[in-house]
Amino acid sequence: MTLQQIIQEYLIKQAGIEPSKFDDPEMMLADLGLDSLGVVEMLYEVEDRYGFQVQDPYRYGTMRFVDIVADLESTIRARNNGELPEPKAAKA
Amino acid sequence: MPNPATPQRVVVTGIGMLTPLGLGREASFARALLGEGAIAAAPEPITRWLPQALAACVDPAFTAMLDKNEAGLDRATQLAMIASREALRDAQSEKWQYPPERLGVFAGIGMGGSTSLEALYLRFHEQLRRSIESNGAVSPTVVHPLSVPRLMSNAAAAGISMANQLRGPSHTYSVACSSSAMAIGEAFRNIRHGYTDAIVTVGTEAMINPGVFIAWNALRVMAKPDSVKVAASCRPFDRDRSGFVLGEGAAALILENAECAQQRGARIYAEVCGYGSSSDASHITLPSRDGQVRAMQMALCESGMAPAAIQYLNAHGTATDTGDVVETEGIKLVFGDHAAALPVSSTKSMHGHLIGAGGAVELALTILSMRSGSIVPTAYLENPDPRCTLDHVPRVARHGQRIGAAMSNSFAFGGTNVSLIVRNPAA
Repeated sequence: MTLQQIIQEYLIKQAGIEPSKFDDPEMMLADLGLDSLGVVEMLYEVEDRYGFQVQDPYRYGTMRFVDIVADLESTIRARNNGELPEPKAAKA
Repeated sequence: MPNPATPQRVVVTGIGMLTPLGLGREASFARALLGEGAIAAAPEPITRWLPQALAACVDPAFTAMLDKNEAGLDRATQLAMIASREALRDAQSEKWQYPPERLGVFAGIGMGGSTSLEALYLRFHEQLRRSIESNGAVSPTVVHPLSVPRLMSNAAAAGISMANQLRGPSHTYSVACSSSAMAIGEAFRNIRHGYTDAIVTVGTEAMINPGVFIAWNALRVMAKPDSVKVAASCRPFDRDRSGFVLGEGAAALILENAECAQQRGARIYAEVCGYGSSSDASHITLPSRDGQVRAMQMALCESGMAPAAIQYLNAHGTATDTGDVVETEGIKLVFGDHAAALPVSSTKSMHGHLIGAGGAVELALTILSMRSGSIVPTAYLENPDPRCTLDHVPRVARHGQRIGAAMSNSFAFGGTNVSLIVRNPAA
C-alpha cells in the first residue's frame, strides 16, 4: 500500500470521508472537514507505522492533500537514508 | 424549576447493569438470586506471573453491545455506556420533556481509564526498546492522540453526557470503593435541592490488567483460590475467608424528581431517601467502626426513619479479616436490638469487588431485592466467623420478604464511608 492509500483508507473507513473527494488533486485538507483532533488522528496512522511524530501538524491545514502526502513521504525518507521502508502493520 | 427551598423527593426510574454475573439488569439479578458466582482464575497475562490470581470478569460478548463509535473507548467507559443505555431505555427517557440543561450525569470510578493507561505505558517501554535497537529510527513518543481523553477519569461521564445531550452538571467521583455510592448520594442531593430534574448515575470500573493487578496483589488483601470450588473463593463473613476478588463491571441508575416522574407515569423502582458520607481520618486502608457508624446514622437521620424501618442491608462485606468484623460491629451499634432481625448480605461473594462500580451495582441489587421481595444471599457462606453473628443470608436467596426500606454500604480505602437508603414505593 502506498502512503496515500494508507491515509485515504483511514479517512474513508474510519473518519467517514466520501471516497470521491480524493478524485480531485486540488483538494485541500480543509475540504475534508476534519477538526484539529481529526487531523492529528489522521497523522497518527502514518506516525504509528513509521515510528516518528510529525512536527507542527497544523501547518497542513492550508495545504493540498497530495502535498501533505508528499511532505510526509519526504520526512520518512529523510529519516531512513532516502528509503521508504515497508510500513509496520497497523495495530488492531 | 422547583423551588430550591423545598426539598424534592427523588426516585429511581431506570436500572442498567453489566456485571460479571450477566450482560444486563435481569441476567445479573437472576444469577445473584441463584447464589452462583462468577469468580474464576484471572486472565492469562496475570496468572502467568500470579498463578493463584482470581478475578470476576464481564463476559467478553459485551463488545457486541457497543455502538460503532464506542470501539476506541477505554473498557471502563464502554461498560458505562452500555449500562447507561439499558438504564435510560428502562426509564423510558425518550418520553422525557425536561430541558437538557436540567439533566445531569454523576459517575463514580476508582482508577479511571486503567486499561488505556497501562497500554500507554506498555507501548512507551516497548518503543523505548525498539528505539534503542534501531539507533533512534523509531521514536518512543508516538502514541495515540486520543490517549488522554480515553484514560481520563471523567471519560465515562463525558461519553454519557454527549451521547444523551445531558447539558446540566457532569460530575465524576473518584473515591475508591465508595465512588459510585457517592455519585448516587450527591445526585440525590442535586435533584433534592432543585438543581436538576433527572440524573444518570453510573458506576464503572475495569482494571483487571497485569500492572494494576500486581499492585493490588502487593497489598495482600486478595482471596486465595478455594481448593474445591474456585467460584467459592470469596467468602464474606465466613471464618475461612481470605480476602476479596477484583471484579469489573458497571451499573447505572436513573434518578428523577419524584413529582416529575409521577406526572409522566414513570415506573418507580424506589425512592432514594437517605445519604450519609463520612471520613475516618485515621488510616489509609484500615476501616474504622466510628466512621462507618456515622455514615449509617447520617443516612438514617436524613431519611427520617427509625433503624427498625430498614429491613435489608447490603453490606460492603469485602471478605477481608478486619473489614467484615468492623462492619458487623458498626451495624450492631447503629441498629441495636434490631440488628439481630436485620438480613445483611454481601453480594461480593458472587460478583467480586467492583471498586468504583461496587456502590452502584450493589444498590441496584438492593433495589431489585426490595422490589421483588427476594433477598440476594451471601453466597458460599458455610461457617460464619463467630465475630460476624448477624443474619448474613447464607448461600440461598430468601424469597417472599416484605422490605419497606433498605440500606447499602460502601466503605473505601482512604477512609471514605457512604451509606444509602432506599424506600419501597409499594410499602
